[in-house]
Amino acid sequence: MKFSNHLIIFSTIFLGFWLDNSLNPLTINFFLELNFGFLIFSYWVFAMPEKLQSSAALFYGLVIDLFFSNAIGFNMLFFVATSYVIHLYVFRFRIFSYFQLAVFFSGSSTFYIACKYLLLSPYNYSYVILLFSFLVNAVLWVAIYIIMRTFRRSIFSNL
Amino acid sequence: MARSTPTYTPVRNYAIGFFLSVILLFSDISYGTFTPLRGYVNASTLYAQMISSEILENISNIFHSFKKNRSLLNENKELKEQIFKIRTKEFIERKNSEVKIEIINFQKDLMSSFYNNDIDIYKIASVDLRNYLCCSTHRIFLQNINNVSAEKNIPVYAGGSFVGQTKDSYLGFTEVILLSDTSHVLPIKSNSFYCDARGKGKPMLISCMLDQNNENVKIQIGDAVYTSGLGGIFFKNVEIGFVSAINTVSINGIEVLITLKTNPLEETYYGMISKETDEI
Repeated sequence: MKFSNHLIIFSTIFLGFWLDNSLNPLTINFFLELNFGFLIFSYWVFAMPEKLQSSAALFYGLVIDLFFSNAIGFNMLFFVATSYVIHLYVFRFRIFSYFQLAVFFSGSSTFYIACKYLLLSPYNYSYVILLFSFLVNAVLWVAIYIIMRTFRRSIFSNL
Repeated sequence: MARSTPTYTPVRNYAIGFFLSVILLFSDISYGTFTPLRGYVNASTLYAQMISSEILENISNIFHSFKKNRSLLNENKELKEQIFKIRTKEFIERKNSEVKIEIINFQKDLMSSFYNNDIDIYKIASVDLRNYLCCSTHRIFLQNINNVSAEKNIPVYAGGSFVGQTKDSYLGFTEVILLSDTSHVLPIKSNSFYCDARGKGKPMLISCMLDQNNENVKIQIGDAVYTSGLGGIFFKNVEIGFVSAINTVSINGIEVLITLKTNPLEETYYGMISKETDEI
């Protein structure tokens, strides 16, 4: 894959994390943590597993860590692990329904949030946040899936 | 039919990536290995934001330059900023004067050289809102109007009280660790107790643990809390907040929750003294 394609994919992930960064200070008052960035990354790996491999996940994670995280390595770790799981089961996911996909990706996103709190901010760990985030991120996944698929087809029609 | 689906990358690469990430994460969480790197990235981002906002401001100024009241608005804005600066400066000068009076009693000849010209006023550049409202890390970045970089561990004032202390400087920006950050400890006192209060990781909250069996400890909700000056960084006897809750956490222990006086989100100007002070 060309460098420019990587740049486009990374820009969407970066935009997702920027949205999280801007919206979460508002939504956290309602015990809700959005996870656009992670879901967008998951979508790209799910949609183009042969193009996004471990090195891409590692590099994307590093840059996201530099700009948005409180600890270098956190997003790298989750991006690599998520990428591996998606690669392993990508063809099974293809026959999943929207509901099943939403549950899996929202569950992954909730696990990411839980680990973030446990590792970086244990005093603020809350099951209410995890529950609400799971429900909302499941809905978000469907929206992201549809929007990103349209975007991918218009940009990467040759891939 | 195959039981497992083919993968596109060998497991070895993922394993290497996984262990590399774990090592980096562990070293950063445990030893803060990449804290300076993150600080420089944050400072660079702030510069980029400032430049872009300045460009936007300039463009909007061009459009507004034809309006008659433009000069009045600017004057009003400048006057407001001056008032904020004077208020912050006045508080620091008042605290300095108190310290000065005590010093006079011991060393009159040092009076003239004490701090008069060392008060710096900083304007807020960025608040890490994402972490401030949800997580343990409570930091702000300040920009010195006179381009003077601050030393480490200098107390920072705003809104008539302390809000934190300087942590580091990156590319002209000063990182301030707020009192409510979980890694910040502030020695405090009230009428009946002394303790080291740690940030709660929640906005404007710090707490300390006390022995419930100590008969000398008589705390009531609403009691004013002051700095004790024992840490060697903050002046003593500055009111920083009040007791907002008392929770029993074990058979012998109670947790005293203290709500801070100053909300960093409402302040624009912050003051600090260039030199460290001796405790009195």
